Amino acid sequence: MEDSGKGQHRPSHRRMRSVVRLGCLLLVLGSLECRATVDFSREIQPILSENCYHCHGPDANHRKADLRLDEERAAKSSGAVVPGKPEKSELLKRIFSTDPDEVMPTPKSHRSLSAAQKALLKTWIEQGAPWGRHWAFEPVKRPPLPSGKAHPIDALVRAKLKAHGLQPSPPAPRETLVRRLHLDLTGLPPPTQVPQDLSKLIEELLASPHFGERWAWEWLDAARYADSNGYQGDPERTMWPWRDWVVKAINDNMPYDQFTLLQLAGDLLPKAGVQERLATGFNRNHMINGEGGRIAEETRVENVMDRVETTGTVWLGLTMQCTKCHDHKFDALTMRDYYGLYDVFNQTSEDGRGRSGQAAPAMDLSTAAELQRSKLANAAVEAVAQEVEAFELTKFPRAAGKSLEQSEAIRLPGNLPAYIAKTAPRARGVDPLLEAIGYFKERDQAYTALLQRLLNAQREKLAAANAITRVMVMDHLPKPRPSFILEKGAYDKPSSVQVSFNTPAVLPALSKQAPRNRLGLAQWLVQRDNPLTARVTVNRFWQALFGVGLVKTAEDFGVQGEVPPQRELLDWLAAEFMDSGWDVKHLLRLIVTSETYQQSSRFEGRSVQLDPDNRLLARGARFRLPSWMLRDQALALSGLLVPKLGGPSVKPYQPEGIWEEATFGKKTYTQDQGEALYRRTLYVFWRRIVGPTMLFDNSNRQVCAVKATRTNTPLHALVTLNDTTYMEAARVLAQRLLLEPGGDEDRLKRVFERVTHRAASTAELSLLHSRLEDLRGKSAASARELLEVGEARLSVKAPAGEQAAWAGLCLMLLNLDEVLCKE
Amino acid sequence: MNSAELPSLELTRRALFGQGAMGLGALALQSLMGAQRPDPAAPSLPHWAAKAKRVIYLLQNGAPSHVDLYDHKPLLRQRHGTQIPDSVVGGRRFSTMTGGQTARPLLGEITAFSRHGQSGATVSSFLPQIASVSDELCFIKSMHTTQVNHAPAITFLMTGGEQAGRPAIGAWLSYGLGSESEDLPAFVVMTSRDKEASCGQIFYDFYWGNGFLPSKYQGVKFRGSGDPVLYLSNPKGMSQSMRRSILDGLGQLNEIKLQAHGDPETATRLAQYEMAYRMQSSVPELTDLSREPKHILDMYGPDVLRQGSYAYNCLMARRLAERGVRFVQLMHAGWDQHRNLNTQLEIQCRDVDAPSAALIRDLKQRGLLEDTLVIWGGEFGRTPFLQGDIANTRQWGRDHHPYAFTIWMAGGGVKPGITHGSSDEFGFNAVENKVHIHDLQATLMHLMGIDHERFTFRFQGRQFRLTDVHGEVIKPILA
Repeated sequence: MEDSGKGQHRPSHRRMRSVVRLGCLLLVLGSLECRATVDFSREIQPILSENCYHCHGPDANHRKADLRLDEERAAKSSGAVVPGKPEKSELLKRIFSTDPDEVMPTPKSHRSLSAAQKALLKTWIEQGAPWGRHWAFEPVKRPPLPSGKAHPIDALVRAKLKAHGLQPSPPAPRETLVRRLHLDLTGLPPPTQVPQDLSKLIEELLASPHFGERWAWEWLDAARYADSNGYQGDPERTMWPWRDWVVKAINDNMPYDQFTLLQLAGDLLPKAGVQERLATGFNRNHMINGEGGRIAEETRVENVMDRVETTGTVWLGLTMQCTKCHDHKFDALTMRDYYGLYDVFNQTSEDGRGRSGQAAPAMDLSTAAELQRSKLANAAVEAVAQEVEAFELTKFPRAAGKSLEQSEAIRLPGNLPAYIAKTAPRARGVDPLLEAIGYFKERDQAYTALLQRLLNAQREKLAAANAITRVMVMDHLPKPRPSFILEKGAYDKPSSVQVSFNTPAVLPALSKQAPRNRLGLAQWLVQRDNPLTARVTVNRFWQALFGVGLVKTAEDFGVQGEVPPQRELLDWLAAEFMDSGWDVKHLLRLIVTSETYQQSSRFEGRSVQLDPDNRLLARGARFRLPSWMLRDQALALSGLLVPKLGGPSVKPYQPEGIWEEATFGKKTYTQDQGEALYRRTLYVFWRRIVGPTMLFDNSNRQVCAVKATRTNTPLHALVTLNDTTYMEAARVLAQRLLLEPGGDEDRLKRVFERVTHRAASTAELSLLHSRLEDLRGKSAASARELLEVGEARLSVKAPAGEQAAWAGLCLMLLNLDEVLCKE
Repeated sequence: MNSAELPSLELTRRALFGQGAMGLGALALQSLMGAQRPDPAAPSLPHWAAKAKRVIYLLQNGAPSHVDLYDHKPLLRQRHGTQIPDSVVGGRRFSTMTGGQTARPLLGEITAFSRHGQSGATVSSFLPQIASVSDELCFIKSMHTTQVNHAPAITFLMTGGEQAGRPAIGAWLSYGLGSESEDLPAFVVMTSRDKEASCGQIFYDFYWGNGFLPSKYQGVKFRGSGDPVLYLSNPKGMSQSMRRSILDGLGQLNEIKLQAHGDPETATRLAQYEMAYRMQSSVPELTDLSREPKHILDMYGPDVLRQGSYAYNCLMARRLAERGVRFVQLMHAGWDQHRNLNTQLEIQCRDVDAPSAALIRDLKQRGLLEDTLVIWGGEFGRTPFLQGDIANTRQWGRDHHPYAFTIWMAGGGVKPGITHGSSDEFGFNAVENKVHIHDLQATLMHLMGIDHERFTFRFQGRQFRLTDVHGEVIKPILA
């Protein structure tokens, strides 16, 4: 839920109350059955992990007193935990101690146990201290379905609600549900008509080409997809064919196991063709640091690590980065596990040199037009360069046959001798030219103008070269590169320990026959006995639909992550997902046809108080749409949306000077015109160092991100109130309305319904009337200017003031809370 | 289950619902102002009475040369042109620009040093104004870092980690302490560059990122041109009265929605939009310099009225401090003198000197320096030896140098008029009272009333903090 909706209550008695409440909450969200048996994995392990593992956990190098509490045998043989004998258990003695030298956790750790947690540990030991494995590492078993509801999701959810004495909510009103389905499955608002047959609608939406666009978004966030390298220079890349591959694969309902094989190891499949190799762009979407002075090997190692960590997060929900420098503090993961995966990603010819956004290995997908543009741009540079050479013969006179280096140019200050005297005009890059222009602009106007033309030509040459479509992909070194554990993860500190590809020891083993390369890794990820991939994936889909995952920590399924309050539901869905052949559309169909999904999101009943975060699902989800969907919605509602699929990224409205300011004038944002302004946000050009300004609360596409974030700041309101896209959408929506027949009453009703997808109440309608009147009185003054915001032009007869009043009204409607939210 | 954070959350939701709709709106308004209050999930802060209420970080992006500006090493001039002893260099790593260079002749300072004020601080002749306020300053001459390239070093300095993805200091502070300003962001960033446009480092947005903290704690970039805050101005042709009318209508309809649907989020929305409206007038008021007296403007130097200049940003920093903004991160590029030390350093200093000193004086005369911590410094220093050819005097330079550099601090609970720590006789290694980046960060937190070891955020199953597992407060410099 929104974090800003959370409490401002910070009373001094909060701590006291929280102790009491913790007990209640454990009752609510903890084991339902009854207090009688303590569940190790759900209740005990999180306490041990949070408070003890840091010093008494898997990390052997930092273990204190040679005691480990993450392993049953060690914990029990050491006498820390004596089953059934609380009085003999050292652990209890220490946690209940009042002696600061003895009490655990030690005050130095700044951790402490609550009274309820201490009591729970005591009860657990009294009950014989039954141990268990971390829940997420247990194989996925399909739990039995409780009786009652036919739909498996409903059966599981209702049983849990009943146990808590809660009632589900009634179904959402038909029009709300239709809007919800459209937004969830295609990311676009519905047309005004309300269809009769819901199941038919669901099938239509699942088959829509916009389905793939909608679900590609989450994958692009996870894959840290962008249109530039990041870092200094931030060269453009042309990875968009990879993006289109993803959209198509999702639309084709490619099974997720196959999707995984292709994304990670398409190039290693037998008879791999263009499409298979294209898919492996996934592992080249990371940033590339090409900063001057940067050591290429350092960048290369950083890139390999990014692949390890991204794979860990996306498929395993494990925080592998913790094991880059030391054994994991909490999870049974070691440095050897990390570098075992490192090795598999270390076998690519990529060399870490990041000057271009098409660093080898890259696949040529260029077109004749792209090559022609580049050829022309090269010729243009050549032509201006000759003019500059001629000019410089006079500007820096020297004897015939002498070079520019042997002229006065060599005495220019600072960098200029290197940039001008020692570099032929055709070879002068953007940075040197910018500096030269800065120096000469007050000193020699004719020369400056010439250099400026050279700069323009060089920019076009660069842009044209960068636009030749080449997709960075993975390949496989013929001779393996040896991999070593790196001390503290430093690229230049290899230890003597050589490692070869292996999967983390705590998880099921790699099969003996598996290829020892990325393909073997991919196959292992989607093996039926891999306990994580299906759970982690299902959870991400759930998160997208419900706003919060069944496991709230979508990025961490380790012992420090959340133990899901609806674990049976997660496991059932994970089993179903795998058994259905990793069928994504089947999974989504299953979810959206449940009564649980289709409930009203109205806040009412006991669950509001007992379960304000709705983890038990007594009501439908209601949350603000992601900012990309808000933009798509505004375009769609106004009728401006151009629903074309795929292609190179586009540059819609952005405030002036955004790129220039961030890049010292080296990059200029040239806004597109026409159709490109109205494409879906998926296609908006993403410059890594300064992302699209109209988006908020999104991943910054710098590193892998799988967790949804939602905050509220005034800056967000300023975007949807002031950005050209929104104002233009409001204006065009208003103008279309004015082109339709009807009076105020008609139009108000119609536009309200178009935007909210429901009829206005009498009270609402009367407010709309009076607002329209008020706006009419205020809009005349600069109406013409307002009507010129944005490039779309409609010919409307109504007076400008009238159009502006309606445009204002429409902007208001686009900003209604219920329009910004999915209900 | 992360049970630790649930109780307070539930308490609040219940409190919200207990109030009825009207109370709900009021509470939500409060809660959005909570963009300015500490985050409810943050540990209770401060841990002790803070000496500093706000920070202005004057980040000299590109790394000023410590041996030319503050850390006077007569030996460099004495042995000018001779190779730096291998015993000093000790196989250290440099950037690739000099990594392969075998000739490493020492380079005497290109400036003149003299002592200033009662404290007798050594400051270069290139920085006369800063020298004149040196009795207010605390110099740390034993700084060192682990990063040798700009982006990782700045990221390390501002976020505690060398790769993008951790929260910046300002994000931590606005998360933990909120802000005293009601209608300005708690964490403001401003950037500028040298006029000569010599090779400047790009300002990456992760220098002021929220990392894993909620995104509302991200620094808000005040722009150097156009609207100071993105999307601040109404669309062309929309008057303020029309905007007010739209917001009034929005409020009425949202109120109906709130009554009907009951989501506290709707109440937050009401407040969010009202605050945006207030910001639309508070920011222009902030940037309106028409009431600044001439003698104040003069103090900041000739560029003060040019939006996006370092001088303008320094004056803006004071105005933000006056309005209670928690953290101002001001970044100025142009210090990366690899080849243009003797041509560009002086010009660069001229741009920075007067505004930096003016900010100290201006804060002081308003009584704000007491509880405003000002920090001036780069992400590392520059090599005591030459980059380039010693015979080619017009193109002398110095490469990146992480093993010793100088910064200064002022106000906010720091002892004025002292120098802490020192580097060796070459200015190569920090030797006495060494101060690591994490120590600096720990000290900053300490002055803000925060124990850096206890101020953590749980992400990916781990309690993260600004200083990772390092950092010691520099006790001797505390007032």
